[in-house]
Amino acid sequence: MQLTVNIVVLASIYALIACGYVLIYRVSRVLNLAHGELMMLGAYLLLATANSFSGNPAVAIAVAVALSLTVGVMVYVFLMRKMTGEMVLAAVLTTVALGILLRGVMVLIWSAQQQYPGQALGFSNPAIALPGGGRISTFAAILVLMTALTYAALFVFLRFGTWGVRMRAAGQNPLLAAQRGINLHAVYALAWGLSTLTGSIAGMLIALDSGLTNTMVIIGLKAFPAALVGGLDSLVGALAGALIIAAAEVLSIQYIDPLLSDVVPFLVLIAMLVVRPWGLFGTREELDRV
Amino acid sequence: MRPSIIIAAALAAGLTGSAHAQDAYVVGITAALTGPPASTYAPAMEALRIYIDGVNARGGINGKKVNLVIADDSAEPSKAAANAKKLLTQDNAALLINASLSSTYAPVVAEAKNAGVPLLFASSVCPREVYPPANEGQFCTTAFASTYDSRAALAFVKDTAKDTVKIGFSAMAIPLSRGEMEFAAKQAPLLGMVALPVEVIPPPTADYTPFATKLKDGGANWVFSWAPWVTQVRTFEALRRLDWKGDFITWAHLEAEGELKRIKDGKFFVIGANALFEDNLPIHKEIIEANKKAGSKYPPEQMTEGWIAGMVIEAALKGAGWPATPAKIQASMSNLKVDLKGLRGGPIEWTKDNHFRTKQFYRVYKWDGSKIVVAKDWYSYDVK
Amino acid sequence: MSDRMPRASGYFRTGYAQEMALTKTRLERVSLGAFVIALLVYPHLASPFYLDLASQVFLASIGALSLMLLTGYAGQVSLGHAGLLAAGAFTAGILSKELAAPIYVTIPAAAVTGAVLGVIFGLPSLRLRGLYLAVSTLALHFVVVYLGGEYETKRGFSTGITIDTPVIFGFRLYGGKIWYFILLAFAAATLLICVNLLRSRSGRAWRAIQAHETVAEALGISVAGYKLLAFVISSAIAAVAGALFAYYRSFVSVEAFSLFLSIQYVAMIIIGGMGSLLGALLGALFVTLFPYLIEAVLLKLPDAQSYAGVLFAVNYAAFGVVMILFLVFEPQGLVGIWRRIQSYFLLWPFKHKPVAGARK
Repeated sequence: MQLTVNIVVLASIYALIACGYVLIYRVSRVLNLAHGELMMLGAYLLLATANSFSGNPAVAIAVAVALSLTVGVMVYVFLMRKMTGEMVLAAVLTTVALGILLRGVMVLIWSAQQQYPGQALGFSNPAIALPGGGRISTFAAILVLMTALTYAALFVFLRFGTWGVRMRAAGQNPLLAAQRGINLHAVYALAWGLSTLTGSIAGMLIALDSGLTNTMVIIGLKAFPAALVGGLDSLVGALAGALIIAAAEVLSIQYIDPLLSDVVPFLVLIAMLVVRPWGLFGTREELDRV
Repeated sequence: MRPSIIIAAALAAGLTGSAHAQDAYVVGITAALTGPPASTYAPAMEALRIYIDGVNARGGINGKKVNLVIADDSAEPSKAAANAKKLLTQDNAALLINASLSSTYAPVVAEAKNAGVPLLFASSVCPREVYPPANEGQFCTTAFASTYDSRAALAFVKDTAKDTVKIGFSAMAIPLSRGEMEFAAKQAPLLGMVALPVEVIPPPTADYTPFATKLKDGGANWVFSWAPWVTQVRTFEALRRLDWKGDFITWAHLEAEGELKRIKDGKFFVIGANALFEDNLPIHKEIIEANKKAGSKYPPEQMTEGWIAGMVIEAALKGAGWPATPAKIQASMSNLKVDLKGLRGGPIEWTKDNHFRTKQFYRVYKWDGSKIVVAKDWYSYDVK
Repeated sequence: MSDRMPRASGYFRTGYAQEMALTKTRLERVSLGAFVIALLVYPHLASPFYLDLASQVFLASIGALSLMLLTGYAGQVSLGHAGLLAAGAFTAGILSKELAAPIYVTIPAAAVTGAVLGVIFGLPSLRLRGLYLAVSTLALHFVVVYLGGEYETKRGFSTGITIDTPVIFGFRLYGGKIWYFILLAFAAATLLICVNLLRSRSGRAWRAIQAHETVAEALGISVAGYKLLAFVISSAIAAVAGALFAYYRSFVSVEAFSLFLSIQYVAMIIIGGMGSLLGALLGALFVTLFPYLIEAVLLKLPDAQSYAGVLFAVNYAAFGVVMILFLVFEPQGLVGIWRRIQSYFLLWPFKHKPVAGARK
């Protein structure tokens, strides 16, 4: 039972991070390799607001969330917009450079020490006993719920919301979408904002659950195979991929060797690339013969 | 302004370098001030800097000031090698200090040996060459020591445990931590304990619960962890979340004191070689004052390692006299006894064959509900 | 040799041999000669610290050239360069420690290792169009680092593997000056290999693929095959660079190979200028010297010592800013700047190149 709980928690973490990758890739075919750093930035923003609004946790959280949405939009407006229309390669490299810049700035502002936003907000993190014998910490449970909520909200938005439909259109065929009157820049900005928002929420919840260190960036990177295994342009795929990767990781910790857990996501990734490169639910790509 | 012109100007400015007056003791330091492991080394180097500033303010050593040249190597071996070269050839350091990851050691050792300058490891793990029989040019003041730490921790467990011990081990996926935990796992059965296999945890782990699950399912009632603080504390918190009621002993890194106060768990033991500030010795008060005056961003509790290094360096340079050649400093260090005023269980004593210390002292602390108390007072091992 | 500005007038090529020569005009030959002489004289004038810097630049340029082949010419993003360097370094370390293999065995062995890794990780992802190689090379990085760590622990080299000084026919390869020349030789050899590859069929195929993959396929170029070839060659050269790194530092440990190292190599070719071998060299020079520049600038500020702690973060931030500036404003990198300076002087007093179709 505990194993199932562990798998669900880890899968939720990866899924919440992965939907950020999927959103941007689907809309603009850009791999956002700065997602890990943006995630960490969200957690640091929470720390900053926690220290400013120390009496009022709800306000602190709300302000941090709003700030991270703004950061995402600003990243697009001031940086990525200049890369729209250029080679995708250049855009991806720009995200890499942005990631490095953010890492340096974050250490400059907040120093590299381990931080505890949960403590700053005055939250404790008791464990909840589940029926069936498993245990889960409060924030892990909140994280699982948030993931479910986020995905539900995204599904509804992309299906029925005006801007959601516009996003899907821009993703399928930017030229036609633009001709149809859809403001591509606005759509892309929205995608970046939402992606940073979901990533930041993931970062904040991880930081509240177990503390904030700069290994969070690599956790963001480990969620990337989850997005890929499911299909980089499919949200359902991100969920499925996250479950598969999380299951592989937890089971290999329990039954094979804990050390492998670092490599297992990438081994699954390679296996997927060999067998079905566009992921479980992604759009089929052309295969060249070697 | 074309970027190339700015670059050329800056390059020219950098290449001119700066001349150093040779009217002072020059101590060169290559340290991991930034980069992932910085939280261990940066506070120690800051403490060393504050200490030496204090020494200089009091008139220096033998009437001469001490010039600390600190270079950041971000735990990268290439940068450390380049730093060492620069410190030795351009700044003419008479004593070199390495406060960085063990992967930077080999190139720095080679450079120091080439230049005939003694090399001190402060706050970085002591290499095999400082234990007897010691390599003539390498010295170490760092608190933690492989194999001795495990022996001390297991001895404590044996003393404190009331029934049969089934002990689990938690390591971080770095060779040093893994090697130590493997050693401990081999020692434990010799003391009558049942040893579970070592859990190796990669650093970038989102959730420590699966690892804790494996430990708990193994039936451990004690867990020993010797790894960077992150791994240690997160393993413990994950275990508690699973409602594990056992005892946890772990190495007292810099952060230990603050963390003991945060965790507030009576079964969380930290073993270390340095006295915690809770003891409120006069030397602790001195450090707190100096820290406040310097306006340091690191809390005083993290200053012990650097302070000890400062005391040892001061004693070594005093013994070497003036003018001090590297050979004289090395000779002074090969026969040194420094009273640490209670920061450790005993003095640091270096002989020709032992550049580590003749006796390694340990103390175990825990939280007793309202404050930090000593769980087991100073006990020592002879270093042979 | 398309849109190069003519650097001498009255210059005619009258035979194929002249067409194929690497240096065509007298000016080119003279400046190349002067440059070579400067390189050969430098070690006798420079302090050990600057000698080490130069050696580092040569080592970096080997890796940068190989990455330029892959990314600048064949158009594939690779994030696994650190993994390939690690693979080469560990091959050298393992072979010299376990089998006492001499250096002229380990370096080719490292090349083979690199090539094999290139095939394993390139084959799944290069069949596709798009950025799948980036993903695949990320996996490569983590797998290689894991294997390296396992080797270090299982064989007891917790702090890393020390490598003995290599000996060739009784001659010990030790010392700053000797390694300067060795690395210079390897860098020159790599440059020659890359130049010749690009002048040959594979170079033309890569250019075609980068221009338009579908058209290239229609012309009969096996797109996936040539992409794989680029990755395999690039990996082999990178592994050799890694082996040289191991010998130069006499030391191998897994911590030296982080993702940031991969990103540094990517930065070298971006800042240098994609699609140009000169760009790889300039980029390697810039990125290697950049941290020292920042340090020198920071140290000129008052209260320098207290900045030592944030130096790395400033480095990172400045690095990111420079990369972004180059990507956004100067996509052709340092080479683009160099070419603009060149054409300013060549065209003066005019401002623009003659229109295409006019006599060149």
